[in-house]
Amino acid sequence: MTHTQAAGPADLTEVRGYGLALNRMYDPDTHMWVQPLGDARARIGMDPLGVETSGTLAQLSFLPVGTELARGRPFGQLEAAKFLGPLVSPMSGTLLASNDMVAADPALTERVPFGAGWLVELAPSDPGEYANLLREPGEISSWFADKVDEYRLKGVIAE
Amino acid sequence: MAELRVIDFGRVSALRSQTLWHAIAYGVSAGSPPTLSFARPADPYVCVGFHRSLEEVDEEYCAAHGLPVYRRMVGGGPVYLDDNQLFFQICLPAGAVSPSRLEALRDLLVPAATAFRAVGVDAELDADLEIVVGDRKICGHGAGQVEDAVVVCGNLIQGFDHERATRVLRLPDADMRAETLRLMRRYVAATPVDDDAFRDAMVEAYADALGLRPVPGELTAIEKTTLAGLDGRFTSREWIAGPEHTLRRRPRQVKVRAGVWVFAADCDRARVMASVVRGTVERARLSVRMPTSGPHAADPGERPRRPEPVELFAAEQAVSGVALAQVPQVLAGFGTPGRQLAAVFAAADGKRL
Repeated sequence: MTHTQAAGPADLTEVRGYGLALNRMYDPDTHMWVQPLGDARARIGMDPLGVETSGTLAQLSFLPVGTELARGRPFGQLEAAKFLGPLVSPMSGTLLASNDMVAADPALTERVPFGAGWLVELAPSDPGEYANLLREPGEISSWFADKVDEYRLKGVIAE
Repeated sequence: MAELRVIDFGRVSALRSQTLWHAIAYGVSAGSPPTLSFARPADPYVCVGFHRSLEEVDEEYCAAHGLPVYRRMVGGGPVYLDDNQLFFQICLPAGAVSPSRLEALRDLLVPAATAFRAVGVDAELDADLEIVVGDRKICGHGAGQVEDAVVVCGNLIQGFDHERATRVLRLPDADMRAETLRLMRRYVAATPVDDDAFRDAMVEAYADALGLRPVPGELTAIEKTTLAGLDGRFTSREWIAGPEHTLRRRPRQVKVRAGVWVFAADCDRARVMASVVRGTVERARLSVRMPTSGPHAADPGERPRRPEPVELFAAEQAVSGVALAQVPQVLAGFGTPGRQLAAVFAAADGKRL
């Protein structure tokens, strides 16, 4: 069983100046990506807008393995600029693993959000929730571009 | 015009000075109006940020001096709090603030800076999002999202016990404690203004900035029930111990204010204690122990030696005033001990304090 997905620069598509992995699903509400791993397991990470709007990450922490997660509820916490906020799960299921590397070095999530900077893996309890996620490359690119435009217009992120 | 609930809890227990505003956050998340609240702890205590390890606090000292230690649901490091500090908290639904955490923090601290100016303090919100007078921090702050509410906390420091604020920290040696205290005195200042005037100015500043009408209020019945639960949670050993990933920080680093920090670390036989101000080493204490055997030992027959004190003094002088990033180059001129010391410096990271 392998959970390694490269998502290096070659796997990313540029959208409005951000590298975006189009080989996974996205939750527009939480700015989390979801990648089914083929063994009733899904990996979750933060998309580049989630990373940028968080600021410089000082700490990441996760609920204990085995915790039952609910879509829209926290699976952990992040801290940036003394601001503590929830990491919100885009899926319901059992928490199977958290990434110790990002807990020790949160900068990894900033540098490679689609690769070694992943956050947690879970066993989805309701595969029907995949339907809530964006999955077609075209719709992902379109949503992401619109969100970047909106955030730039509102001054949420820099031009 | 929508209302800004204003609650002044007055003087409350150390525990309640934390749990009251957390109860408000849960209430605002569940539909209570945006709320500006105030409280003053009747007794001194220590409070650690959500992610920080208790190992950063000298729990033995705190226990011996009757200082409880609580853990808050916002960020930042361990802080000493007492009745010379008036706490304020502004709490809004998460949807009412910018998705950018930095922007949200800025938006919710600007009115506090305005209030300080209104009571005669020449305060500004600087680029590091600290409320300062000159280069001195005058207001501690933390922020967090509790369910669907965002809360920013801060304090009016009417008097600050720098010595005790340093003493409650677990620090590896006297050098680091002395340097931390020196920088606290230099960069953290009290503004002993009238608290009634400050409260009035805060209410006006936040109401204006948020476009809300201030209305005196109190906790709802649900918030009171939540408060009772929080009193239990915040005094439980499990909560105080913190989440699973409260990693002990190595090297030991203490942030005095944004851009000003002290660190101490060991690597092999080298030890560094240094203060960093705006990316530049201000002071350093360096030491290296030379091995008495093994590949790095002095030549056989030669008496094992430590670097001469003058060599370390010269290295300390050489790195003082140097940008942290340039320290390895400077220490390269000090041979093997210099390279060992450079490796210790490389472990320091002030960006994520």
